[in-house]
Amino acid sequence: MISLTLNNELITLDVEPEMPLLWVLREELGLRGTKFGCGIGMCGACTVHMNGQPVRSCSLPVSGAEGQRVTTIEALGSPEAPHPVQTAWINKQVPQCGYCQSGMQMAVASLLASNASPTDKQIDAAITNICRCGTYDRIREAIHQAAKDLA
Amino acid sequence: MGITRRLFLISGVTLGGGLAIAAGGIGTYVGIHDRLQHQRTGAVDDEGYLVNLWIRIAPDDTITVLIPHTDMGQGSPTGLAQIVADELDARWDQIRIELAPVDTAYANGKPLEGYVTEMLPVPGWADAFAEKAFFRIADMMNMQMTGGSTAIRFTGWDNMRQAAAVARDMLVRAAAQKLSVEVANLVCSEGVISDPASGRLLTFGNVSAAAAALSPKKDVLPKKPDAYNFIGTSMPREDIPRKVFAQETYGIDADVADMQYAAVSRVPVFGALLDSVSNERDIRARRGVTDVVALDRAVAVVADNPWRAEQAVRAIQFSVRAHANQQVSSASLEQEQRDALAGKLDNGFDIGDVDTAFSNAATTIEAEYFVPYLAHAAMEPLNATVWRQDDKLHVACGVQNPLMARAHVAQVADLPIEEVVMHAHAMGGGFGRRVSFSMTGDVPLNWLSDAVQIALTRDVPVKTTWSREQDMQHDMYRPMVLAQFKGALDSRGIPVAWQSKSFINEANVRAVQSPYSIEHQRVDFAGTHQIVPTGFWRAVEHSQHGFFKESFIDELAQAAGRDPLQFRLSLLGQDSAEARTLKKVAEMAGWRTEVDRRGRSMGCAVVHSFGSTVAQISEVSRGANGVRVHRVWCAVDSGRVINPQAATAQVQGAVHFALSAVLYGKCDIHAGAVKQSNYHDYRMVTLRDAPRVEVALLKSDNPIGGFGEVGVPPLAAAVCNALAVVEDRTRRLPLIG
Repeated sequence: MISLTLNNELITLDVEPEMPLLWVLREELGLRGTKFGCGIGMCGACTVHMNGQPVRSCSLPVSGAEGQRVTTIEALGSPEAPHPVQTAWINKQVPQCGYCQSGMQMAVASLLASNASPTDKQIDAAITNICRCGTYDRIREAIHQAAKDLA
Repeated sequence: MGITRRLFLISGVTLGGGLAIAAGGIGTYVGIHDRLQHQRTGAVDDEGYLVNLWIRIAPDDTITVLIPHTDMGQGSPTGLAQIVADELDARWDQIRIELAPVDTAYANGKPLEGYVTEMLPVPGWADAFAEKAFFRIADMMNMQMTGGSTAIRFTGWDNMRQAAAVARDMLVRAAAQKLSVEVANLVCSEGVISDPASGRLLTFGNVSAAAAALSPKKDVLPKKPDAYNFIGTSMPREDIPRKVFAQETYGIDADVADMQYAAVSRVPVFGALLDSVSNERDIRARRGVTDVVALDRAVAVVADNPWRAEQAVRAIQFSVRAHANQQVSSASLEQEQRDALAGKLDNGFDIGDVDTAFSNAATTIEAEYFVPYLAHAAMEPLNATVWRQDDKLHVACGVQNPLMARAHVAQVADLPIEEVVMHAHAMGGGFGRRVSFSMTGDVPLNWLSDAVQIALTRDVPVKTTWSREQDMQHDMYRPMVLAQFKGALDSRGIPVAWQSKSFINEANVRAVQSPYSIEHQRVDFAGTHQIVPTGFWRAVEHSQHGFFKESFIDELAQAAGRDPLQFRLSLLGQDSAEARTLKKVAEMAGWRTEVDRRGRSMGCAVVHSFGSTVAQISEVSRGANGVRVHRVWCAVDSGRVINPQAATAQVQGAVHFALSAVLYGKCDIHAGAVKQSNYHDYRMVTLRDAPRVEVALLKSDNPIGGFGEVGVPPLAAAVCNALAVVEDRTRRLPLIG
């Protein structure tokens, strides 16, 4: 049995310790906002927060999250109470197909939590997620916008 | 899930849709084939709605726009709704957007007409499908297709706009009857029809039932452009909040009760057959595994969790029957192409007297270009969920043409088409991967074939998901192409002859044709069957040929010692879209032919595709870490633009998409199989190497053009032309890796 705090709720799971957190979230817990993209931690579509830090859940065995605090896109914000990153994402009309954007927003929310006003260079270094539609221009604009709104 | 009764009714009644069919060509053919039937059925359903094929106006004043295109990120549903809202004189907050059911009533003869005339000759399609005995040619046109940048141009501008204008006319006439006033005395605005003389008002919902009883007029003219409220305005995309809050349901998120999960391992060698599985018992003993399924060219594991299925399928030991394709490599395929170009050629066109022009030329230049196979690598791995319900086979997945996918499922399952129900989901990227046909006759829906075959062996719903590795190694690749160019300048440095030979599976002369005025031109092709399955990749042939022809014109300019941008302009009509976009982009970028102090140089290119013309300038340097593209400027002439911000996003995205290919993209063939397997060896541009992209949309009276693909074709040449300012020209892609 593995226990962790997911979106502020304590949960206990009977799964193999090596099952990646991604598949626990999507299939054991039905939280499908976190996406599967590559399975090797390259694309970042599966990014969630563990203790506030961005992690690529496709490559993190659930045992690695034992006793930790995990947050997914479902708890980042809602239409009624959007996270500033989500507000900026809508204002700047960022998504195209949208598939990578859960992970992208999670990565950005974590960056802004530790660096309220990142430079372009810091953004480049921190946000390594892939967007195949190529929404990068607007991602960058939206990050700066969200940073302003948070300030 | 399942098609609701209401949607069924809607698909059975139409008026505007039928009227909207344009005269001539394939559109008329499909119109006769399908839509007259619907047109005759009537105009109102039993709940008092005014309905036509695309639009449903309800008594509660909501207006639902039915979108026949599935979403893969282009934003066209919003653009289509803008067109409808404008022609109806509706309010934006009345508009609802709904995906049309997978039904032949929504097949797009007109979009396909555009697609066919611009991209492929009809006979090529006919052959591919006649062989498969899928469809007769009329049925082939009967696709609910998303692709070829057709949604706004053809579905929207030609069909929905007309349908909305017809519906508005009916609403106003119904109001006139109710108020006993002349139509001419009424004002229609913001969803309300008013009689200024008496001050009386009726909303669209008040008259929708009465309007539905009227017969539609055939001669309703659409609005004049100066009256537009929504067309040309950057309305926010309706899908974006859903995507931001992770509420979009992609195919991979489909949830069916009691579903199990399949993972697949395909035989890596193209064409080779599975021989046997040696450790099936061990695999079946693993936690959660319920079945092992052997297919002709793949083996699959079904389990209660996708990760368990994937781990199990990776542990399967299977043998493959020997196949001649195991001898094939990238090098042997390239040699085949080179041999083909040295052999008998098919002529695309021949203008003037090329041979004499070359023999009289002052300078002759030759160049050989090469681009490798490319995977689509859409973010959402390929998947489909298949189950039986109410004596029908249900399929949930994201595809670019669900109607043809439905037919494909029926064929694989050996069922009548009527017994297959398709649930179309949003796609996590398409880029041509999720279409149903290819130029080589290969079947892109190979993952769907797997999913159906696997599910048919089980009595529970099964979601089959290909791993990223399967996705990358069993794609329908952008064709590898070798192209050889020869050009001649006269003694004044003016180009007089242009000749190209390229390897191509299905010659699209328009993609190969250069826009420049050169007196003697010959374009030839050679094609033989090659083992790698190829298909449509964003911008199709324009993506390769844009690189070739816009590199070669630059080589001629260099040889003539001329500014390559001015050189191009000297060979273009000054009012042409190419000239106008080049001049605009030069102004945006501050065009220069010299390297600046930071070591940055500029390159330009211009390509017309899918009804739009895009000129680009890239600013590039080569440093310790390789090539760096700093900035890209784009000037676009696409006629009237429906939603400028959404259109701009498509062009920006296309630049990054194309840049991944220019810098990193290649699929190598080793022993008859693709070597690359995931994003670590098939790299993508990320924020770190993404240039800043600026886009200008020109005001234009040209016919409305596409946006989804048109930013791709010029980029490779714009980058290589910039590098050629400071170093030897690169004629083979990618630049890195």
